[in-house]
Amino acid sequence: MERTLVVDDSPTMRRMIIASLREVCTGGFVEAATGLEACEQLALGPVSLIMLDLNMPDMHGLEVLAFVRRHPTLKSLPIIVLTTRGDEASRSTALAAGATLYLTKPFTPQGLAAQVRELLQPA
Amino acid sequence: MTDDVFAAGFMDDYFAECDEHLAIVRRLLLELSAAGFGEPGLRPTVDQLFRSFHSIKGISGMVGLRDAEALAHHLESYLRLLRDRDARPTEIGINALVACVDALERVIAARRDAQPPPAVDDVVEQLEHASTLAPAGAELAAADAAAPDRQRRVTFVPSPTLLARGVNVDTVRARLREVGTIVDAAPKIVGGAIIFEFVFAGAIDEATIASWRDDGIVVAEAPPPAGAPLEPAADSATPVGPSHVVRVSLTRLDDLMRMIGELVISRARLDDALTHVETHVPPVEWRAVQENVQVIERQLRDLREGVMRVRLVPVGELLRRVPFVVRDLTRDSGKRVRLDLRGQDTEIDKFLIERMMDPVLHLVRNAVSHAFETADQRVAAGKPPEGTLTLAASSIGDAVVLEIADDGRGIDEAAVVARARTLALDVPDPPLDRALLLDLICRPGFSTREETDRASGRGVGMAVVKTTLEDLNGRMSVETAAGAGTRFVVELPLTLAIADALIAHVGDRMFAVPQANVREVIELDPAALRRIERHEVAPFRGGALPVLRLSDVFALTPRPGRVLHAFVIGAGADVVGIAVDRISGQREIVVRSLDDSLIKVPGVTGATDLGDGRAVLILDLAALVRRQAASLRGITEAAS
Amino acid sequence: MITARGAETFILFTVAGTSYAMRSRDVAHVEMLEQVTAVPNAAAFVDGVVFSRGQVIPALNLRARFGFERAPYDVGTRLIVVQTGGRSVGLVVDGAREFVAFDPALIRPPSAALAGLSGHYLEGIANVGDRLILVLDLAQVLLFDDPVLQEHL
Repeated sequence: MERTLVVDDSPTMRRMIIASLREVCTGGFVEAATGLEACEQLALGPVSLIMLDLNMPDMHGLEVLAFVRRHPTLKSLPIIVLTTRGDEASRSTALAAGATLYLTKPFTPQGLAAQVRELLQPA
Repeated sequence: MTDDVFAAGFMDDYFAECDEHLAIVRRLLLELSAAGFGEPGLRPTVDQLFRSFHSIKGISGMVGLRDAEALAHHLESYLRLLRDRDARPTEIGINALVACVDALERVIAARRDAQPPPAVDDVVEQLEHASTLAPAGAELAAADAAAPDRQRRVTFVPSPTLLARGVNVDTVRARLREVGTIVDAAPKIVGGAIIFEFVFAGAIDEATIASWRDDGIVVAEAPPPAGAPLEPAADSATPVGPSHVVRVSLTRLDDLMRMIGELVISRARLDDALTHVETHVPPVEWRAVQENVQVIERQLRDLREGVMRVRLVPVGELLRRVPFVVRDLTRDSGKRVRLDLRGQDTEIDKFLIERMMDPVLHLVRNAVSHAFETADQRVAAGKPPEGTLTLAASSIGDAVVLEIADDGRGIDEAAVVARARTLALDVPDPPLDRALLLDLICRPGFSTREETDRASGRGVGMAVVKTTLEDLNGRMSVETAAGAGTRFVVELPLTLAIADALIAHVGDRMFAVPQANVREVIELDPAALRRIERHEVAPFRGGALPVLRLSDVFALTPRPGRVLHAFVIGAGADVVGIAVDRISGQREIVVRSLDDSLIKVPGVTGATDLGDGRAVLILDLAALVRRQAASLRGITEAAS
Repeated sequence: MITARGAETFILFTVAGTSYAMRSRDVAHVEMLEQVTAVPNAAAFVDGVVFSRGQVIPALNLRARFGFERAPYDVGTRLIVVQTGGRSVGLVVDGAREFVAFDPALIRPPSAALAGLSGHYLEGIANVGDRLILVLDLAQVLLFDDPVLQEHL
């Protein structure tokens, strides 16, 4: 497995996500605090999974999602959208834009790890 | 690992991040409340506020702080409402926001200090009430869409090599913002590679364009695409020209200060070495050497001052919360208070700002809550109905002076004396010596009002104000007149890092005593010392000076000569002499703090290097005296 | 520093004739001990403060900490400067020279049979090849409840 990209503007949140997924994501982590930084990380090295927050200061998470889905080789990357207590509208918008999974905060570390482990199982 | 244990490991991060968000929120609220009608460009402020509350809500939920999460949720909802209606908050709305943010801060602080959280129902109700009101007149307007300068397309291609050199999309954005405005920023896919395209408005010269090419940044001419600016320049709504300001990290400044400290030590070593060779050098050559040494000393001082100046920030930052506090406390109280802030540009070390924030706010709260009379009472006393609270800052030489003055009722000396006597303290009748008065009101547990302060979530009393000042090597004094008002004057040294110190010897040990708090240095004849119970006293200026021997305090073997030397510290009735074998002179020292709890002992505030790599302890004589007095009290109480 | 698969590097040092180990990643550097300035009224096992790389740090005497009799410093005495939990502390030991790498999974908790004060400061014991290595619990060594400070609160 290659690196997991964790995108969230809160450093505390990023650390919590990484701590929760340390056992499951064996290829290490890279972090981004804004949408543009996330795209830059994708340009700089191989990524196997993206954990994506929606609420970010420059590019909205959905725009990042749409961008990745347009890319010829990255478009099939698993992308898990993690955002605060969702309403149905956001959920369906995110799934329609190409999110592989839509999870809401707050999450428990075991819950998150379980969901990601299941997602990464070979089909 | 349980969820609680998991969250516990992130609490420090959580508190730090909340602090950052709350500082931003306070600044934005001030902007909102200060903005006049019809003023454009409030949209980014509302957006940023919304995002900050949203973030606080998210991490609060993650660490299990439900109260904070709920409060942040209410705040976020109110901001979303404003955003959706494209409206600005009313006066009532701003008050509600401020009240809720205050409550949020207290809830988070309660968790940090392991205190029970305060009740927040009333502030939530306030906010909900504000939500039901009709939006205020003028709508939020976005900043002007058309930028006056020519617009160009700037492309940036990221790469690992550039990243290693510190060039990434963030630094490129910062560079562009320094010289103009970013109208649009987006990632693009070019043949499977990811690059970034900016639409940029601003002036850049050919030389800069050429140098940026090495960093993967290509500037081209481009027709401006239509659209509102995506990214307004950092702190204002209007495009700015090239910036003359550079952001510096505090760590870099600390490094610079450390290097200068080392220069100071090297110069001292040079001095020492030169004294050894003085006799071998012909006078004419010697004079030339001396002159050069003096020039270096002057230049070093200038350099030191220059770097210190970089750490300085305007004291206005310390005072930014004061308008909120005053506004909060005067509402519904029948009191009207006008805030007079002076000398806000006076500069003060960033470290001091953080330490002084709570003490200053406490003094302000005291003044507004207790010193000021109601408007009616004031009129009846022949005063203007509106009270004036003055916060003035100025710098005098090496110190910053902060004044907190009110024209209220003045300190009730009779009440202070009565309270002191109920605490079995022996005090004369009023009028009291001002130093004694200050001493009394700063005693722990003196003011019963501190209980109410604590109930409102604040644990700061005058005692803490006093100890904070002592920690920072500062001083405080008070002036007060019945019916006229009260004035607190706080003096803080501008820098903590380099000080003038006297070198004391006891036995074969050396200690450094910062000169700032020493009143004088005297000689004592050991034969003239008299024992009175547990104390020694020496005849001094017609009176008796209590004398404490440092050798006793530290259990060292002294090696006295014909006379003892002593430091005289304290004032009025508190004067004490600390006796040592010998005081050998004055040196400029670089103060290194003793941070670890293993070596935090009362009376020792740091260590310094006098030139040979050995650590010499820096003493706080006043603290030693206090500790000695406390332990003596303990002994006499136990014995009685 | 990870060397072979799963192995971690430890530094070996001696206190009162016994060898102990601590993780290299906690160690900033090792110095010869020159001057220690005593701090009056500090805890008995704190020899004082030293200057190390421009910073003033405490010098904690491990012989004293473990309950052994103090010995005068000699040419072998070393100061191991550790950095952990935001603190920089110097540990005074009789000697420190060797490094060893092994899998930390080999560390077993100390048995109750290990009496004496030093057992309190052990994370555990590792059986590496034919050696028995006592691994230090650094956090426990550095923990400190100061009665003097309490008096001031």
